[in-house]
Amino acid sequence: MMMTGHDPLQAYGAMVRGAFGGRNAANLAATLNRAVPIVGMGLAAALAFRAGFFNIGGEGQLVLGGITGAVVALNLPLPGLLVIPLAILAAALVGGAYAWLAAFLDFRFRMPMLITTLLMIYPARLLASYLVSHPLRDAASGLTQTLRITPDAVLPKLMGTRLSSGLIVVLLLVAGAHWMIVKTRFGYRMRMTGLNARFARYGGVDVERLGYRVMFLSGATAGLVGAVQVLGVHYRYIDGSLTQPLYAWIGIMVALLAGSRPLGVLLAGLFFAAVQTGGFGMERATDVPREISQVLQALIILLVAARSRFQFGNPPESGRAN
Amino acid sequence: MPPALELRDITKRFPGVVANDRVSLAVEEGEIRALVGENGAGKTTLMNILYGLDQPDEGEILIRGELCQFHSPLDAIRSGLGMVHQHFMLFPSLSVAENVVFGCEPTHSGILDQQAAQRSVAALSEDFGLQIDPRARVGSLSVGVRQRIEILKMLYRGAEILILDEPTAVLTPQERDSLFGILRALAANGKTIIFITHKLPEVLALSDSATALRDGAVTGTVRTADSDAQEMCRLMVGRDVELQVAKRSPPADSEPVLSIQNLTLPETGGRAAIRQLDLEVRAGEIVGIAGAAGNGQTELVEAIAGLRPTASGRISVQGTVTSSLSVGARRRAGQSHVPEDRDGVGLALEAPLTDNLLMGFDNHPSLAHLGILNLGAVRQHAEDLLGQFAVKTHSALESAGTLSGGNRQKLVLARELAHQASLLIAEQPTRGVDIGATEQIYELLVEYRDRGNAILLVSTDLTEILALSDRIVVMFEGELVGELPGPSATEEAVGMLMGGGGT
Repeated sequence: MMMTGHDPLQAYGAMVRGAFGGRNAANLAATLNRAVPIVGMGLAAALAFRAGFFNIGGEGQLVLGGITGAVVALNLPLPGLLVIPLAILAAALVGGAYAWLAAFLDFRFRMPMLITTLLMIYPARLLASYLVSHPLRDAASGLTQTLRITPDAVLPKLMGTRLSSGLIVVLLLVAGAHWMIVKTRFGYRMRMTGLNARFARYGGVDVERLGYRVMFLSGATAGLVGAVQVLGVHYRYIDGSLTQPLYAWIGIMVALLAGSRPLGVLLAGLFFAAVQTGGFGMERATDVPREISQVLQALIILLVAARSRFQFGNPPESGRAN
Repeated sequence: MPPALELRDITKRFPGVVANDRVSLAVEEGEIRALVGENGAGKTTLMNILYGLDQPDEGEILIRGELCQFHSPLDAIRSGLGMVHQHFMLFPSLSVAENVVFGCEPTHSGILDQQAAQRSVAALSEDFGLQIDPRARVGSLSVGVRQRIEILKMLYRGAEILILDEPTAVLTPQERDSLFGILRALAANGKTIIFITHKLPEVLALSDSATALRDGAVTGTVRTADSDAQEMCRLMVGRDVELQVAKRSPPADSEPVLSIQNLTLPETGGRAAIRQLDLEVRAGEIVGIAGAAGNGQTELVEAIAGLRPTASGRISVQGTVTSSLSVGARRRAGQSHVPEDRDGVGLALEAPLTDNLLMGFDNHPSLAHLGILNLGAVRQHAEDLLGQFAVKTHSALESAGTLSGGNRQKLVLARELAHQASLLIAEQPTRGVDIGATEQIYELLVEYRDRGNAILLVSTDLTEILALSDRIVVMFEGELVGELPGPSATEEAVGMLMGGGGT
């Protein structure tokens, strides 16, 4: 900070205020809203990583979920109360199916998931771009985006606040994932497969079946996050709105930092969101560019990653099924 | 003449435990001294102190009568000590000569003098009959040869006292014999050798004398010629150890539990792993499969366990044809398995003991209901098993990786025996396990048999096969080449078959 010729205390103060302060805690609300997709995508990555399957294609599943959510919400002639859950459900199904496909390619044709999930981002992203550029485009606006979803079919703000109700959805997901991993047989098998797949297989776990389910859950979470963003924040699918902020990639970092533990994902996700909104605040209040907060973020990742690796042993490994 | 090496009252305390308690020993020049003791007896701590890796709290080290203080291995090396570790420290991509001279290279204006290095390594190898080509790349050499390179490294640095930590753990019997030849030749040349092990046959075969450690203290030093395995065992374990078990033939009317017909496994590396194999194991008997490592035993077990696809043939357990079932379905049909690779397959080392002991039980109605685990019952299940099988731990929530080898083996055994399957496949059940634990494991296996279960024992340790099996079959190059009744089988007879020679 001093290297760039700024007063560190002032800048960091601005950053903290930018993350949590503001009139009526507006910045806190911004941080929480930003945390929704980050925690959600962190959870999507963590679910796969925890069982040792490397789904790094969350972005593709996120985008497909987003566009699916928009299509359903725009076209389903039903009351909003029904449309919202159906749109989210459809998005989760599509995202899950897309990740499931990567598992299928791995188990059936020995194409490493590490690569397929990554490559499958492009068709998903391009398909969504095509849809909003042509058949689904809101011709009246100059932007590549769909029509606006009718107000009764969008996720409401939480009572009297600026908070997206996606926050509740994500908190429920985190709690559910934590419960599943710690308390259920399925979660036990996930953990054992993640720690030592040979052990799990030897002990009678059908690792392939588990892999299909875990990848579906991971992709479904990503798809659901896409729909929650579309229905709760943008109210339409805007090209690039889910990919530009790098939610999926930050989510992967969050999952790695958290050792793929859902509660850790929640904390790490909030932290990343705070650093980001804080960075905006710092830029507004001082003349420190936002890029500095990104540098800071990178430094923190490096430091914490070094330490967490030291403490928790190895992070989940990739390409397990081969 | 003062002894080549003398330790006086070495004491080392770690928090909560005295690792070495007033250990004294003296080794003469040219002597081969075995240092024996069970896992955790304090052998490694003592050697670390001797080698300067650790400082004693009390006590003295004397080399040829001179008081020494080692603050690092470099000090120890300077005083003529050399240590060959269990895990080799070599550069696989460099030549033998480059590896040996590493650390004190002959140089010519700053550049390694390859010729000089090769000459001196060749000369040294010649002197001690090590038969090593200094130009060979280490990566292409066998484990036995690599170990000789480690010894050569020590000699090159002028070591007079060689310490070998469990040197035979990684060797084949042939490599072991040639190592022993080399060590005898070194001793005859005036080198002093300290040999750490817990294998008594090796102590008897190689050493001049042996010092036993138990719980950190010396329990006795004996001349090998005047002692026997029984006495040494008592010194190590503190009591008589009975590794002979009661053999018996199964009741004539007992049912076959495992039956294998015409099993053939697909090729691995050019030849069929297993050809046309028939085998039957009946209730109430232990059938031991003997054979040198790599003759298809691993593949056979994987095929029975469901970890490897079969090409043709039929496997059935308790009347259920299992050849095409999943691992889980086979286990439900009545089999359990103690795998050869305990750490890589049998356990999740980073997971707590509770999770390790839950594997295979997560369908059990008392532990899980509608897919939801009863964590209290899971913990209780683990604690029961840990107590019942006397696994030494502080808590059931410890991770499996913190346990010693013997305790890990008991952990696997506890879980697999608790399944109460009518067929137990036990692969190398006591590999890397000390004598006390071996005895317990033998007892557990025999008791399991006596309850009317069938055990398929696979071991490359002939002593173990002979000690446990009611019936012995010998495997050679993927086929069963002979069968002997357990009670009357001799080492010679089994050994003949193991080499592929028919009777």
